[in-house]
Amino acid sequence: MKPGRYDHITDEQLLSYYYADGNQEWIGILLERYTLLLFGVCMKYLKNEEDAKDSVQQIFLKVLTEVSKHQITYFKSWLYMVAKNHCLMKLRGGPNKNLQELSDNLTNAPDEDKNGELLENERTYTLLEEAIEELNEEQKQCVTLFYIHKYSYNQIVEKTNFSLSQVKSYLQNGKRNLKLLLEKKLKENQTKQ
Amino acid sequence: MKDNLKDILSNLNPDIDQETLLLYLQGKLSPEKQHELEKQMLDNDFEADAMEGLQSMPNNQNVSFLVEQLNRDLRKKTAEKKSRRDKLRLKSDPWIWVSILIILLLIVISYVIIHKYLRG
Repeated sequence: MKPGRYDHITDEQLLSYYYADGNQEWIGILLERYTLLLFGVCMKYLKNEEDAKDSVQQIFLKVLTEVSKHQITYFKSWLYMVAKNHCLMKLRGGPNKNLQELSDNLTNAPDEDKNGELLENERTYTLLEEAIEELNEEQKQCVTLFYIHKYSYNQIVEKTNFSLSQVKSYLQNGKRNLKLLLEKKLKENQTKQ
Repeated sequence: MKDNLKDILSNLNPDIDQETLLLYLQGKLSPEKQHELEKQMLDNDFEADAMEGLQSMPNNQNVSFLVEQLNRDLRKKTAEKKSRRDKLRLKSDPWIWVSILIILLLIVISYVIIHKYLRG
């Protein structure tokens, strides 16, 4: 994975080149950026190296045939959905109609920073500090070590004796709970004012 | 402190390059960089899922070789499709048909002329 001569071109530009001239080599260049991620996702679901390799190749083929049928805006999110659908289908042993249909824009918008206003607000931080205190002990410990002390997962594992997967899940859940708690507190705050 | 708290709320979704992910996987990143990447992964489901899968491999040291192999196959595939498309384009090129028609006409005309000349 050496730095390539196309690195300066964004995903969106590569897609627009493809839509302009139909040359699949543009999609090839785009897909190469995500091979490692695709392989990792397939490994997560299929838990077998050979199956994962086959699946990545099948996903490549699927993308090469499907991409012209859609006007894709956010390639990365679309690709992630294609990969997940493919793996789930494989696990269920065949096409499943309940899976999310491939479409152009659903779930494709990356989560943008919707908290711009929140971040600017000084009061938010006081409330956030309060919210951290309300988390359960494990989540509070992991969130504090990760976000305030800037420790890595491994360092937190060493400090706390939690397992790596526990640390990850405390952080994920802690972050989610914090956002919920904060929203609640902001609402309460607004009604008080 | 305030800046650190900001990280909990932000959802910037920056792209993480494959090289950095590989270094992380091989445990070659400094704790600070590990933390940075882990923070980004908390907001990126694609990367987080992929890392979970890669870490589950008993031997993930040859991952870059695997990826290179998959990329080579992919390049072959897109090149094949391209040459097939070029061939198709060649077939549908109207000049080819015009040239064939002219050659056929020339053959017919020369046959007629030679035939007449031989009779005469």
